[in-house]
Amino acid sequence: MGANEFLFLLTGLKWTVLLSIVGFIGGGVFGLAIALLRVSGRPLIERITSGYIALFQGTPLLMQLFVVYYGLALVGLKLDAWIAVAIGFTLHASAYLGEIWRGSIEAVPKGQTEAAKALSLRYVSRMRDVILPQAIRISLPATIGFLVQLIKGTSLAAIVGFTELTRAGNIVSNQIFQPLLVFGIVGILYFLLCWPLSLYGSHLERRMAIAAR
Amino acid sequence: MNYKLDFTPVIDGMPALLMGCLGTFLLAICGMALAIVIGVGGVILRDSKIAPVRWLVKAFVEIIRNTPFLVQIFFIYFALPLAGLRLDPTPTAIIALGINGGAYAIEIIRGGVQSIGKGQIEAGLALGLHKAQVFRLIVLKPALRAIFPSLTSQFVLLTLTTSIASAISAYELTSVAQRIESDSFRSFEVYGTITLFYLVISWVMMRFFDAISTRYFSYPVK
Amino acid sequence: MTKMKTTRRSVLIAGAAALALPAVLSAPALAVTPAEIKAKGKIVVGIQGDNPPWGFVTSAGKQDGLDADIATLFAKELGVQVEFVPLEVNNRIPALTTGRVDVLFATMAMLPERAKAVQFSKPYVANTIVFIGPKKDKITTNEDMGRYTIGVAKGAAQDTQVTKNAPANTTIRRYDGDAPSIQALVSGQVQAIGGNIFYMQRIEQARPGEFENKLEFQNLYNGACTRLGEKEINAAINSFIDKIKANGELQKIYDKWMKVPVHKFPDSLEGITFTAS
Repeated sequence: MGANEFLFLLTGLKWTVLLSIVGFIGGGVFGLAIALLRVSGRPLIERITSGYIALFQGTPLLMQLFVVYYGLALVGLKLDAWIAVAIGFTLHASAYLGEIWRGSIEAVPKGQTEAAKALSLRYVSRMRDVILPQAIRISLPATIGFLVQLIKGTSLAAIVGFTELTRAGNIVSNQIFQPLLVFGIVGILYFLLCWPLSLYGSHLERRMAIAAR
Repeated sequence: MNYKLDFTPVIDGMPALLMGCLGTFLLAICGMALAIVIGVGGVILRDSKIAPVRWLVKAFVEIIRNTPFLVQIFFIYFALPLAGLRLDPTPTAIIALGINGGAYAIEIIRGGVQSIGKGQIEAGLALGLHKAQVFRLIVLKPALRAIFPSLTSQFVLLTLTTSIASAISAYELTSVAQRIESDSFRSFEVYGTITLFYLVISWVMMRFFDAISTRYFSYPVK
Repeated sequence: MTKMKTTRRSVLIAGAAALALPAVLSAPALAVTPAEIKAKGKIVVGIQGDNPPWGFVTSAGKQDGLDADIATLFAKELGVQVEFVPLEVNNRIPALTTGRVDVLFATMAMLPERAKAVQFSKPYVANTIVFIGPKKDKITTNEDMGRYTIGVAKGAAQDTQVTKNAPANTTIRRYDGDAPSIQALVSGQVQAIGGNIFYMQRIEQARPGEFENKLEFQNLYNGACTRLGEKEINAAINSFIDKIKANGELQKIYDKWMKVPVHKFPDSLEGITFTAS
């Protein structure tokens, strides 16, 4: 494998990173909304959001990408392929992050909400200043765990034809016919991206477990 | 452009799609079984007295958990023949699913075993329980209870992951759907429909696991 | 992973939401015309990314190949930029019919069953679909294919041909594209593959002297594809193809990639119309 091929893989890596970042940020924004609606105390809204979460957690990411990729175009939204894929990942991530954050919002002791209410804090300030800062801390390990999941998930964009790291690997492997070498390198690149995050996540988890003891 | 939805190919292909669901179940169940074997074996080796063995298990877990399944399955599929092992796509997919699920199972099972305090075992013995009783009541059941939720949601995830096995032409729902799609070019209808199939499959699994959990793991301990 | 908490009701809602989606989707979109493309300033072309010399991405990341050259020439004719969307074999027609791309220059063999889903232009290049097997074996009839495990690219012309011509119980493995099917042959996961006339060049690089073209299926012609009923863009492509056939531009592209004289193209093909109605 020459320098050219390796550079091509790095271009793919760039798209993998971009796609992950966009999916994570978009998913974070929508996920927070989902989480808040999920604990809004209104049965109808809670049911709809829980249905949304069930839909995305109960179907394969590959299908979600296919349906969003072709579906967006069908409603007349002619977006660049990569934006369509990014929307797919945003929806996917918002369901998972919404569920993770719902769990951690509920994990904040009820007394906190009651105390905040007693201090006559309004909803926005109660959430922003009291509940969410604690919930975010609780959710960090799971959130980072999901980010790793998301980065790995971007490899499926290859199947809808988006040239990120895995597809770049496919293309290079087809030019030089050394699948083991190419997929080995592709695997290493993913590993270098994900492993530090995983380590950080389990470090946080351990620290919290100790603090909880 | 005026796209008219047409579900005829999906309806005509229904028998094939249902067979595909069976293929998905087969991959998932065999994959899970292999994952449990790897998981239990891995936990034992993970605490081996021989340091390199411990390192190997640790490295295995980290590598599998930090690389995409698609890359893993390509690697295994194209690597096995070089090692002289030529398997059909379906067994290859089961191996890949088992390896992937196994790495997660090792971590989950290990967490469950560690959650049993030494003190509890000693207390059990002090109460005059047999060693077998201690293992069954104090170690096994609580550990299973502790790992059951995360292990089963990992299994549901593994079932959804089987769709990726279509990339090496294993027989399962997604590949059947792709077959119908390439004959009819009705991608949205086909994928939309099987998305619902997957939703039902994962729902059935979750119900099943929930039922087991209520039957065997609910308090008070029987 | 988080513990999934799913109630029966939430699954029902999710299912209902998924079912309701098609209703939202029936909003009609406008047909693409050359005038619109000119106004937009770019044409979005669906092409293959891993099937040299037809359409492939070079290791420098540039889209290249015969199809790329012709599409670029067509864009120049319209006076617009060209944007390539590399597609997997099986996703080409869906990408067009759902509006992801304006036109396909994507090694699209002109087949009657495809003509029901998309509008073909006049043919611009010829291709032969072949069966590639081990050199040492004697393979002379379609029946002989039954002895092999055969790889093909999902939904490609060779998939159609092999499926149609091989004995009914033949094991056929379908992969996501040309590249993985060749990879499967090279790594020994299949013993034979269906492909086109250029596959052997690539197989020779990886496993020299072991395989050869054994059977030839029908000669096929490739055309550009647009959506059914889009008359203006189809007409624009047809007159463009006539023009490059007449002025020698097509021969130049042939010289670069095919290294043969331009084929004689038929005026009609059974079950396929070249002009949108």
